[in-house]
Amino acid sequence: MSRVKTILQQGKVKQAVIDKFRENAADIVGADNISSGEIDLLSTCRDYWPISSIWMLEGAVPALPQLVVWPNTTEEVSRILALANEKKIPVVPYGEGSGALGGAVPLQGGIMLDLKKMNRARKLDELNQLVTVECGMNGALYEEYLNQNGYTGGHFPQSLRCSTVGGWLACRAAGQFSTRYGKIEDIVVSLEAVLSDGTIFSGRSVPRAATGPRADLLMVGSEGVLGVITAADLRIWPLPEKRHFATYTFDNLADGLEAIRKFIRAGTRPAVVRLYDAQETGNHFPELGDKRPGLILLFEGAEPIITAEAGVVDQIVSGQGAVDAGPDFVEHWLETRFNVSAASRLLQKGAVLDTIEVTTNWHNAHSTYQAMQKAILSEEGTMMASGHWSHVYPEGAALYMTVVGFPGENKIGYYKSIWRAAMKACLDEGAAISHHHGIGLHRGAWMEEEHGRGLEVLKKVKAALDPNGIMNPGKLGLEEVQQWEK
Amino acid sequence: MGKVNMEELLNCALCPNICRCECPVLQVTGREAVAPAGKARLAAMLQKEQLDWDEEVLDAVSHCLSCRGCTIHCPFAELSLCDELINARLAAKAGGARLPQVEPYLANLKNYGSPYGQKNETAVCGEKGAEILYYAGCTSMANNPASIEAARSLFSKAGLSYQMIDEDCCGYPAEIWGDEELARRLAEENLRKMKESGASTMVTGCPECWLTFTGHYPEWGLELPLEIIDAPAYFLGLLKEGRLKPGRADMKKVSYHDPCIWARAAQKTAEPREIINKIPGLELHEASSSGEKTRCCGGGAMFQLSYPDTAAAIARRRLAELAEDAAIVTACPFCREGLLQENRQVLELVELLDRTC
Ligand SMILES: Cc1cc2nc3c(=O)[nH]c(=O)nc-3n(C[C@H](O)[C@H](O)[C@H](O)COP(=O)(O)OP(=O)(O)OC[C@H]3O[C@@H](n4cnc5c(N)ncnc54)[C@H](O)[C@@H]3O)c2cc1C
Ligand code: SF4
Ligand code: SF4
Repeated sequence: MSRVKTILQQGKVKQAVIDKFRENAADIVGADNISSGEIDLLSTCRDYWPISSIWMLEGAVPALPQLVVWPNTTEEVSRILALANEKKIPVVPYGEGSGALGGAVPLQGGIMLDLKKMNRARKLDELNQLVTVECGMNGALYEEYLNQNGYTGGHFPQSLRCSTVGGWLACRAAGQFSTRYGKIEDIVVSLEAVLSDGTIFSGRSVPRAATGPRADLLMVGSEGVLGVITAADLRIWPLPEKRHFATYTFDNLADGLEAIRKFIRAGTRPAVVRLYDAQETGNHFPELGDKRPGLILLFEGAEPIITAEAGVVDQIVSGQGAVDAGPDFVEHWLETRFNVSAASRLLQKGAVLDTIEVTTNWHNAHSTYQAMQKAILSEEGTMMASGHWSHVYPEGAALYMTVVGFPGENKIGYYKSIWRAAMKACLDEGAAISHHHGIGLHRGAWMEEEHGRGLEVLKKVKAALDPNGIMNPGKLGLEEVQQWEK
Repeated sequence: MGKVNMEELLNCALCPNICRCECPVLQVTGREAVAPAGKARLAAMLQKEQLDWDEEVLDAVSHCLSCRGCTIHCPFAELSLCDELINARLAAKAGGARLPQVEPYLANLKNYGSPYGQKNETAVCGEKGAEILYYAGCTSMANNPASIEAARSLFSKAGLSYQMIDEDCCGYPAEIWGDEELARRLAEENLRKMKESGASTMVTGCPECWLTFTGHYPEWGLELPLEIIDAPAYFLGLLKEGRLKPGRADMKKVSYHDPCIWARAAQKTAEPREIINKIPGLELHEASSSGEKTRCCGGGAMFQLSYPDTAAAIARRRLAELAEDAAIVTACPFCREGLLQENRQVLELVELLDRTC
């Protein structure tokens, strides 16, 4: 028996309704693919929102579901959703729980729809450079499958090994090589999804079509509140012929940002572009020191193209005062880029930590960094607020802040305070509140400021597609969650 | 036997399951409760007394093959999750929790010295007092006596005298099923018999036994009375000395499946390949995940007895990575047993070698 507390539970479905659902659902997915076992509920009730980790250390979870269901096919997802809709039971889609903002917390109990058994690659279409893949496929296994066939998916979030294709699409994820291959919304060509009433629909994998708004692509970034993404057609690329690495340091961040703006404007597309502030440069690459911002670049593709690109970039960054630090730092980054061990260690020492990624244009890239850093550092307990830019576009770039604080007892209060400070600074500077982690539960409180009247439109879409409100309630800022205010 | 290392366990419990792509149990079941960090979270909650030991919890923390697949990507060099989970199971058993399906096998271990319920006395053969002792292990005895015949035949072909004794189980199954006292009793019985044999070298055919002798016995404070060498390294030595001379094999191509323990606990990936490469005209196919990145056959941690359906599903997943047009060669009786599905031909390395010498 568990003595684990729930902190954000907003209620549960009557047990008799759940029992009846379970009986009927067993005919759909088989009794082995449903569990109400305590350990399955405890294990599928959270994601990688830092608050869940803090609560875990204190013997608590955000909220518990009442059932975990593992569908195997789109048809099964459809029948399960139709049944849940009829009984008005909340359903939370679940990939691999690497979401960073509490998106997968089952606030109202109900069903966790664990999609990991839908993990097949359905079709590799080499002529059209597309793969059809199911939502529950693990990222690293997806890339491995493509590599074995001579391709890459071009999508490498730091969570590659612990997230699913469906999770990427649901959260508008970004990979480390996005400057060349794009975010997941640039990589997806069409998708298949299921609505709360069981309707299965999909888009067509044509390059572009002037056929009105695309219903399937509406699901990209919907974080489980509109339905379940069950499969997608994604772009793939032949494995690159060659890679070229380069590292530069700058006198200051403004010069580094200007250099990036100029080489993107010139038409170059390095796969990896990462400009670290001096503190992060020192943390990641001690040999570069912590006095100058460092820029790492990785080019990949056909040799003549990347040689030319690297040449153009070198000329532009040199004009901006960059000092060439050679290729080795990129090797080091490649080797360490998935290592997130510091978080476990810091959490055990009583730290509160988080990463806050936002999107800036060029005009406010530097000022947003300065404003966010200042705001976070002014909160008592903050030890570190550092940043880097990655994911670069002609019109701007993503800014990724890392925060570590030791606030003593009031961890939750501190966590909320740094977020309030960071979001206010971000919005005041005119940046967008998220680039790729999405909204989940926690960032919902700022959705109105982000979208203005656009949020009303989103609420209407939600009401039309999910009239009973069963899909992942309380997320994406579409409803107020009293238990978790900003 | 070990106590739970809370700091390491919490490092894992607080990790976003970075290695989940390499955990075969998670990959075939899809259950978060048996994901690497999922198991660590449950074990940590138990240690902190937020959960009570019961069958359901013990079942989850028992869903570990000790395959060390998680170590491929694990950033914590000091962490051995599978050993922490064994420690958790020892604590569970001490706290009164039981896994019903393993109880008959534990009874077999007590009564017969083998989980398979047969006395290993029939193994006694060779020359009493010989320098070399061959320790086959219960699984080879129960499932593949042909591999023991092959090893004996190789000793004879090399002109070496050897002996086999009435082995008791090395104790590993008792340990992973949480019966510390039984594991120790079996270990002590084995040590007595090894000493009595008068042998100076023991060749071990089973990686699980090898790891128990070389890794766990010293941890349990038990001293080995003889030198232990694993079968692949030993027979490779005989090839190099020219005592064994392989001829052409009766097959063209083999796909080598690295057993997890040889590959990741012992870093022995070269020896089996060297043996295969010394067989004239035999082509070696490398699986997509091989060497230290091998993937488990599902047979680790006695899963074939405790979770046969999961073990079989994991084996099918691994089979897809091994060339279809080749015989599979491996160096572990559990791997051979697990991979013997879908009409595939599976040989242990000693069997392949014996066929060619
Ligand atoms: C260490 C670490 C590093 C990270 N690095 C990156 C990074 O580099 N780039 C990046 O973009 N993100 C990153 N993230 C965030 C996270 O990995 C992504 O948001 C990822 O896309 C989530 O995938 P998942 O399968 O784990 O989804 P989950 O966490 O299981 O779910 C996330 C949300 O999507 C919904 N959902 C999941 N699957 C579906 C589906 N099939 N249909 C509908 N809704 C669904 C859930 O209900 C939930 O609201 C990182 C996270 C961690 C822990
Ligand atoms: S074994 Fe290592 S990589 Fe895997 S979940 Fe635990 S800490 Fe993370
Ligand atoms: S040892 Fe193998 S089965 Fe156990 S947690 Fe690690 S990868 Fe999974």
